[in-house]
Amino acid sequence: MNDIEVDILLVEDSQDDIDLALHTLRRENLANHIFVVRDGEEALDFLFCTGPYADRNPAHMPKLVLLDLKLPKVDGMEVLERLRNDPRSTNLPVVIMTSSKEEKDVANGYHLRVNSFIQKPVDFEQFRQTVKAIGLYWLLINQRPQNHAAKKPADQVKS
Amino acid sequence: MKESPDILLVDDNPADVGLTREVLAASTHHANIHNVPDGEEAIAFLHRRGKYTDAVRPDLVMLDLNMPRKGGRAVLAEVKTDPGLRTIPIVVFTTSHADKDIIHSYELGANCYISKPGNLGDFFSAVQSIEEFWFGFTSLPH
Amino acid sequence: MSETVTLDRVEPQEVRAIVRFSALLVEDNLADSELVMRELRRGGFEVTCDVVQTADQFRQKLQTTTPDVVLADYNLGSWRGMEALEILRSAGLDIPLILVSGAMGDVTAVECIKQGATDYVLKDSLTRLPASVRRALEEKQVRKERRQAEADLARKAEELARSNRDLEQFAYVASHDLQEPLRMVAAYTQLLAERYGDKLDENAHKYIQYALEGALRMQTLVQDLLTFSRVGRDRKRAAVACDVVVQEALQNLQAAVQESGAIVHRNTLPTVSGDHTQLVQLFQNLIGNAIKFRGEKSPVITVSADRNGAETIEAEWVFSVSDNGIGIAPEHVEAIFVIFQRLHTRAEYPGNGVGLAICKKIVEQHGGRIWVESKAGEGASIRFTLLANPVDGDKDHTQ
Repeated sequence: MNDIEVDILLVEDSQDDIDLALHTLRRENLANHIFVVRDGEEALDFLFCTGPYADRNPAHMPKLVLLDLKLPKVDGMEVLERLRNDPRSTNLPVVIMTSSKEEKDVANGYHLRVNSFIQKPVDFEQFRQTVKAIGLYWLLINQRPQNHAAKKPADQVKS
Repeated sequence: MKESPDILLVDDNPADVGLTREVLAASTHHANIHNVPDGEEAIAFLHRRGKYTDAVRPDLVMLDLNMPRKGGRAVLAEVKTDPGLRTIPIVVFTTSHADKDIIHSYELGANCYISKPGNLGDFFSAVQSIEEFWFGFTSLPH
Repeated sequence: MSETVTLDRVEPQEVRAIVRFSALLVEDNLADSELVMRELRRGGFEVTCDVVQTADQFRQKLQTTTPDVVLADYNLGSWRGMEALEILRSAGLDIPLILVSGAMGDVTAVECIKQGATDYVLKDSLTRLPASVRRALEEKQVRKERRQAEADLARKAEELARSNRDLEQFAYVASHDLQEPLRMVAAYTQLLAERYGDKLDENAHKYIQYALEGALRMQTLVQDLLTFSRVGRDRKRAAVACDVVVQEALQNLQAAVQESGAIVHRNTLPTVSGDHTQLVQLFQNLIGNAIKFRGEKSPVITVSADRNGAETIEAEWVFSVSDNGIGIAPEHVEAIFVIFQRLHTRAEYPGNGVGLAICKKIVEQHGGRIWVESKAGEGASIRFTLLANPVDGDKDHTQ
């Protein structure tokens, strides 16, 4: 556990949504390691290596956090706020994925510097497309902020 | 999603602006593109000052970094600290691949960072992906 | 004190470069100081002399003049000649001090030399004085020259380091700034072909194709230049296991290995002192080349290492990456390491000619050297040296 590098941290308490998201991401080969936590407190413990995750290597931050808003214990907005206020995670890419249709949630999210805010489509197929688009955009197209000089794969042979 | 979203394209290279316009014109979202060539004009546009009194509030900003007079970093710094403007998503779209530019942009509050690809096909794909993601899937603040 | 006039003359061929100098005499007896001056002149020197008697006078004199040598009496009444040495030291002056003294026990004399006096000459053997002064001045000259040489070397090293930094900076900025206009050329040429293709005749298409190829090739050249300029940035030094390095390189080359059916033999490889990432790049480029420049047969590549020299810390390993490919003619053996130098057309083999230049840069940054042994048509062996890992392990020097 300590050394596995997580690609996506999925913070979600609905089992259906978890299953569908995992299935989509794996099928599209977008992420190798997806870690699921089911409430805000566990998300924070995971990211800040506290509580049950005290042994986790703090140098390994996930590449993307998919964050639901309505979560037990600590809700998504508060998780986002705490992440942005901590230097270890202030630049961590966070995408809110929520069923909430409240305009104020959208405004709040961007105000708290979420990278993007996505409303979960009700339709099964559209949900899949959305997860796929998120994975593609944030893992492949977007350039992530690198924290440390992690070991980069050697470039292809130049000759 | 409103009928025709508005993009503020901040870029001083007319060639790149031309390519970007082409891609966006072909999309289903019919975005309106407003192009300004440097950071000062961008800020004036966003604050609706001077010749931009009637400017719309853009739904998305695509921001180059290296521009004369005022560059992209200054725009990021100003916009993302302004409570009235900071919720507007800003996509940094620039030639630089440098790590320090990437990190710095995020620190200044960029929503994402995309390096302009060298070849034409990839450039088109990149602009398409930006447009598709931000107008096809994302909820934007009003 | 007897005035023995000796007729020592300095033979012309013994006269060395030093003939003229200035001396500061620390002597409370005027007659003695005159004797010293006379002896020096008899020794063939053109000497200008100042005489001081007290410590204060000595200090004051040193503020206005810098003598080439100080000749001090050991016993000066209220103070001692050795105190003059202290004064010179605390002023940071590298001026030889020779004690000119009446009877002085050998023990005392040796003590004085241990404490830093350059020499001692007894007043009843003043004829030894010129030789002693000459020797002292020559030694000082040598010291001065050596300090100068060291300063020159340090300055040159600093200039070189700065020049290298400037070059890297230039390469980085140039390749970075060149990319945008290049993209404009490539993109719009391509659009021209795509959008107006049907309005253009065959020649126009050919022109466009050449323009496009040129632009695209320039793009990769610029990127290669950037890669080359970056080699050596963020360099670390640690113990690196070459077996692991080669394994990683082979993994990165998986596709090429499979496609060519290449077989790679490896001896047990040692641990060396260096940067892991760079060494992976090094082996990857070499093995990749061996695969690329193959002849008719499937590539067979051998990676091996031999120890050079005894089991000392300075010992180095000589590595070898050998193949059975097309080989390199002896007249080209130097050129292949030069950036962008190629031996084949792009139609024959792809690439810009930067891989071996990168290898050379990496090897040289690790303090080694790289060369090739080959005959055209008979495969090639690229050999390079790397320093063995010192027994006590390396500190992590990030540069």
